Amino acid sequence: MNNFVVADSEKCIGCRTCEIACVLAHSKDGSLSKLSAKTFCPRLKVVKAATLTTPVQCRHCENAPCVAACPKQALVQNDHSVQVVKGACVGCKACLAACPYGAIEIVIAGNSTPRRVEVIKCDLCRDREDGPACIKTCPTNALHKVYNLSFDRRINQRKR
Amino acid sequence: MAKKVLTICPYCGSGCQIYLFVENGEIIKAEPGPGRTNENELCLKGYYGWDFLKNPKRLTARLERPLLRYNRTDEFKEVSWEEAIGFAAKKLADIKAKYGPNAIMCTGSARGSGNEANYIMQKFVRAAIGTNNIDHCARVCHGSSVAGLAATLGSGAMSNSIPEIENTKCVLIFGYNPAESHPIVARRIIKAREKGAKVIVVDPRFTEQAKISDLWLALKNGTNMALVNALGNVLITEKLYNKKYVTNYTDGFEEYCKAIEKYTPEYVENITGIEAKTIRQAARIYAEAESATILWGMGVTQFTQAVDVVKGLSSLALLTGNLGRENVGVGPVRGQNNVQGACDHGALPALFPGYQSVEDETIRRKFELAWGVKLPAKPGYHLTEIPRLAKEGKVKAYYIFGEDLVQSDPDAAGVREALASMELVIVQDIFMNKTALHADVIFPATSWGEHEGVYSSADRRFQKFNKAIEPKGDVKPDWEIISLLSTALGYPMKYNNTEEIWEELRKLCPLYAGVTYKRLEEFGSILWPCPDENHPGTKYLYEGNKFATSSGKGLLFAAEYRPPQERPDEEYPLILCTVREIGHYSVRTMTGNCSALQTLSDEPGYIQINPKDAEKLDLADQELAWITSRRGKVIARILITERVNIGTVYMTYHWWIGACNELTIDALDPISKTPEFKYCAVKLELIADQVFAEDYVQQEYSNLKKKMFC
Ligand code: SF4
Ligand code: SF4
Ligand code: SF4
Repeated sequence: MNNFVVADSEKCIGCRTCEIACVLAHSKDGSLSKLSAKTFCPRLKVVKAATLTTPVQCRHCENAPCVAACPKQALVQNDHSVQVVKGACVGCKACLAACPYGAIEIVIAGNSTPRRVEVIKCDLCRDREDGPACIKTCPTNALHKVYNLSFDRRINQRKR
Repeated sequence: MAKKVLTICPYCGSGCQIYLFVENGEIIKAEPGPGRTNENELCLKGYYGWDFLKNPKRLTARLERPLLRYNRTDEFKEVSWEEAIGFAAKKLADIKAKYGPNAIMCTGSARGSGNEANYIMQKFVRAAIGTNNIDHCARVCHGSSVAGLAATLGSGAMSNSIPEIENTKCVLIFGYNPAESHPIVARRIIKAREKGAKVIVVDPRFTEQAKISDLWLALKNGTNMALVNALGNVLITEKLYNKKYVTNYTDGFEEYCKAIEKYTPEYVENITGIEAKTIRQAARIYAEAESATILWGMGVTQFTQAVDVVKGLSSLALLTGNLGRENVGVGPVRGQNNVQGACDHGALPALFPGYQSVEDETIRRKFELAWGVKLPAKPGYHLTEIPRLAKEGKVKAYYIFGEDLVQSDPDAAGVREALASMELVIVQDIFMNKTALHADVIFPATSWGEHEGVYSSADRRFQKFNKAIEPKGDVKPDWEIISLLSTALGYPMKYNNTEEIWEELRKLCPLYAGVTYKRLEEFGSILWPCPDENHPGTKYLYEGNKFATSSGKGLLFAAEYRPPQERPDEEYPLILCTVREIGHYSVRTMTGNCSALQTLSDEPGYIQINPKDAEKLDLADQELAWITSRRGKVIARILITERVNIGTVYMTYHWWIGACNELTIDALDPISKTPEFKYCAVKLELIADQVFAEDYVQQEYSNLKKKMFC
């Protein structure tokens, strides 16, 4: 089974610390000063509905609709997660339409021709030594990583 | 290798400990430290709120040299410290000679400057100028809590410490949204709830905290007193109160019962909009918990009837015996990082440092002896009275230290008029701001990160903060600037460092006598009272139920409900209530210059409105609209959300273009002089030409920046 990061909306205060942490974890040098509203694209997004606040990100689906939809194999099942193959995306947006969580974004990187497109989605911070940045920074410990669904104490508690 | 400096977050009163990593004289990142309150957690302001120190020029410019102009219509010129100090000293001396010392008003600073700087400021005001005219922004926030609690319990501070919240069995949160204003306090509430505590939230909005609660009391805006009385009424009529506790440790029970008699839950149903049975349920949960904590914020204190409500809330704690032990109590949770500290150290018009009255002769003698001058006995002016007093010609000079009154105080137009009428305005700050535009002379100070000292967090907790980097430009620490000015005025002050100041002040303040820099470093933090060097500090006040009142007992108190001053009418049909948002802080000079925080939200700021009201006015989400009150008009972005109640709109006070304090009213609580930020009448207008509106916002933003980078 795939791993994924899940939020407990009973603990999320909607502060968006996780969003910034996610962006910095995927920036080249982790420097704050390059952040700007125009280019800010976190891999998880805090959603505030009438009675619910929670970050939403990729669930690393077992039968991932995005993987199935991609004509270029730019999205693959790999290492207990759904991952992006660098440089393979052509920007057709099929995955974007297929994702039931709206957890994928396509961005144009730089202004080179031909255009370079990138798929932005949660990669479980697999290149980061400390693991998921969002989990580490959340001040209320609202996020945690699920390794094995049936053994996850917090998820089982909620089922009851 | 990066150097690691342990210090305290400069933002909210939680007082989180932070490690700053410094490389080549620049901060490169922040990580959480092992503070007793934050336990290795931080919110986004702690993690990402330090890069204003790099002077990124996003909102406003860092002040790096003294600025002076001999004429208000001139541009500022960079001058030497000698010229700037000399000018200010001469002008102050002239004004004092001509109008007397009481024509001079000064502020303390609740922000980065620290306790020692506030001590020096109030010493300067009292000893060098000879007046008690010193106050600070506690007046516009928890002033009502200080006044109310001082009367009923004897101390205006939080009775219990923040970590204790985690082990309480009931948290009654009244007019306070910790999820937005103190994330690290919210974290304790969430933990308490996980351990089985019941959380009750009283707020007209469905706030993030209301979302994380067991019972939400959605009261109508401005009806706090009626609800608090009704809660008291249930405690009495259903015999839920602690009889023994009331008999042994309180005064005023009979009067209290009489005062709340008519406030049955059924009677207040119409006033508050809350069903009687919900009020009963809340009172029962609170009374039946083995330990219960009341926390409140600006939703209690920023009304014309605020001190009464604070007294009423403390009465609920007294009636149920929820004081004087662990994991209970009353908590006015202080907003700014050092607003507790500015109060602790005498930046108040009637109190010397350590909450010692200027009117008490023995105390005054003690300070006169220490400072070597005769000191004034008459309490000084309140911050919020200055616009009126200026109009009456009573105040002629204003020395504003680490505050931006035009942005933070009610009725900005009134504040600007007052500043314009002054013969001298001195601003001492780290950034150019709206208030500084009215100054004659500007003193540039070192910032948090560039100097050291002691802060007091919201729960009476002293913590040492440290210097991480060298300041750029020709700037000086606040205490040094004030000492130079004092010396130039003929009252010499000379200190080599903040520890010397701390040593002087702790000897004058029995409450802090046992706190030394060495002990702070050793223990990480010490909560006052700490009377001697063997004392561990005081986690909770009123041990043994001995209250700090003259009788030693807690005072029960209830008052008749008074509605807010400016009610909505045909012309201005909506209520405006001002609130906070998590990523920004106070007047935004700091967070507006932080890349991450500015990325999350930027000018002109939002106005939150219920879908029904928006529909009536034909307003669409994310569009710009005009908001007008009897005092001013601003533009802001519409945020349509079911989380806010019909009939009221909400704006956050951080924004410089959507500046809600152009609209607010300077109606004051009669005792604390705290303004009614939470209630005034406004109208909203659709802007048909949204292209024009967007351009207008951009234009205003760049005009503003032009002024700030003069
Ligand atoms: S950091 Fe935690 S509390 Fe804040 S928005 Fe993200 S999940 Fe929610
Ligand atoms: S696990 Fe990493 S990539 Fe995924 S949302 Fe969290 S921070 Fe972003
Ligand atoms: S909770 Fe307050 S003190 Fe702690 S990091 Fe956030 S702003 Fe700073």
